[in-house]
Amino acid sequence: MSTPMLQLRSVEAGYGEFRVLHGINLRVDKGEIVALVGPNGAGKTTTLRTILHMTTLYRGEITFEGKDITKVPTHKIVEKGITMVPEGRGLFNPLTVYENLLAGAYTKKAMEKLEDSLEFVYSLFPRLKERRSQVAGTLSGGEAQMLAIARALMSRPKFLMLDEPSLGLAPKIVLEIFDTVVKLRDLGTTILIVEQHVKNSLEIADRAYVMEMGQIVLEGEGRALLSDERLRKAYLII
Amino acid sequence: MDPILVTNNLIDGVLMGMLYSLVALGLALIFGVMDIINFPHGDYVMIAAYISWLIAMAFWVDPSVTALLTVPLFFLFGVAIYKSVIHPILGAEPLIQIAVTVGLGYVLENIALAIWHAEPKSFPAPWFNFGLNFGGLSISVAKLIAATVSVISLYLTHWLLTKTKFGLAMRATSANRLIAPLMGIDVEKVYSVTFGLGIALTALGASLYMMWAQTNPYLGSSFSLLAWVIVAMGGLGGVVGVIYSGLIVGVLEALGNTFISPSARLAVIYLAFFLVLWFRPRGLFAKR
Ligand SMILES: Nc1ncnc2c1ncn2[C@@H]1O[C@H](COP(=O)(O)OP(=O)(O)OP(=O)(O)O)[C@@H](O)[C@H]1O
Ligand SMILES: [Mg+2]
Repeated sequence: MSTPMLQLRSVEAGYGEFRVLHGINLRVDKGEIVALVGPNGAGKTTTLRTILHMTTLYRGEITFEGKDITKVPTHKIVEKGITMVPEGRGLFNPLTVYENLLAGAYTKKAMEKLEDSLEFVYSLFPRLKERRSQVAGTLSGGEAQMLAIARALMSRPKFLMLDEPSLGLAPKIVLEIFDTVVKLRDLGTTILIVEQHVKNSLEIADRAYVMEMGQIVLEGEGRALLSDERLRKAYLII
Repeated sequence: MDPILVTNNLIDGVLMGMLYSLVALGLALIFGVMDIINFPHGDYVMIAAYISWLIAMAFWVDPSVTALLTVPLFFLFGVAIYKSVIHPILGAEPLIQIAVTVGLGYVLENIALAIWHAEPKSFPAPWFNFGLNFGGLSISVAKLIAATVSVISLYLTHWLLTKTKFGLAMRATSANRLIAPLMGIDVEKVYSVTFGLGIALTALGASLYMMWAQTNPYLGSSFSLLAWVIVAMGGLGGVVGVIYSGLIVGVLEALGNTFISPSARLAVIYLAFFLVLWFRPRGLFAKR
């Protein structure tokens, strides 16, 4: 078996004294979409943030392309090709759409490909091109989410994590976002997605993990999990 | 009231306003980017004024020339203060930040008192401390130079913030410090450079000020107050907001000086400050 792109082994992490993750084992292979689902407060966001060294890690190992990244600061991990569309978007509100995208391309490697990347994200989300001089804080919810995804793509990630990208969006836009995720995977980006829309995300996911109270309780192929009795009950998928 | 005297004082106010803006800009940067309340901002001006005086005396050059040394020196001093004192209180309770930064101000003041005592120091052979006369009007050349250098520095800082990659990192960090690292931005580096830059600007202000003025250990508190009033009035207006409110403060000071008395200058500035905060609590230049 080839080395996974990302691997977590017995990861225990949290915030200061407050433990959230109790021994997470998780793997993402190159070219996959992996979904991470679970109830509110399960620790999904914490898992993504732990991968990026934004929490306190107590035990365990995290490797990216076979190399340990637990001691690497966040901005250096981003340079290695990981990034995240954070929960709640985390846009730079006073900056314009264009400046947000520019900030996304901050690393040296990304800056060299700036023009290409801009063209790419504008073709993905033409709305952003129209609104490039608008201040990010005044975008609609859907536009803001597009910008959050586009900004993450500007860093040319090999591995992209999305934390509830469809939160608070109209059904039609939710579907667009899922289409985009599939498209990105087909173009070669590896993806780890956290979602409330369990059904949609399991449908597009190659594999999925179900998390509860800081532990992985179920894992398997996306569509196989969809027909899992326990999961269907827990998430009322009919 | 003699119109020539009034005009003279107004010009003086405008020129001084630019120097105040320069000092206040450092405070605005530190506050805006790092969310750190650098209360004793003026005390860095005071210490820099002494250092400027020392260098001027040692090499017998005008204090303005000493900026070539004081500015880089205070950039490094700022970085060192950031790493040793400010970094540990990032994100701490405001009360703790106030206690630590105010304490630091007292330390600086007491160092000055211990070394130089309370008597004022000035460079005895300044190069530019004379007036240009235009039919009764007299403009101080030293202040004209100080204002010009200040305006250029304000412009350069604006350029840094809006046109360079590092400026983008500063603005992104200011907008959302938790998310900035996700762009690959080294927030620690942004913080130490911002603090260094803010302190370097106080040194530039001090070396310019010493072209005509004297320093004493209490110089810091009046510069701190002026800087705070300017930043609070300037609100979220960025560099442009700082320039306008610096101008307003300089002119008000001059008017208070002329029409009331030299001792009323700070009172006039405060009165205007309270009026502004009363009617525009988010500052003169806030968007909302
Ligand atoms: N910054 C923080 N400091 C302390 N505790 C936190 C912090 N962020 C989250 N937690 C706690 O960690 C636990 C897991 O939170 P997390 O955000 O990872 O859940 P989640 O699975 O993403 O939930 P949701 O679906 O609501 O987003 C929760 O109990 C939460 O209160
Ligand atoms: Mg979450």
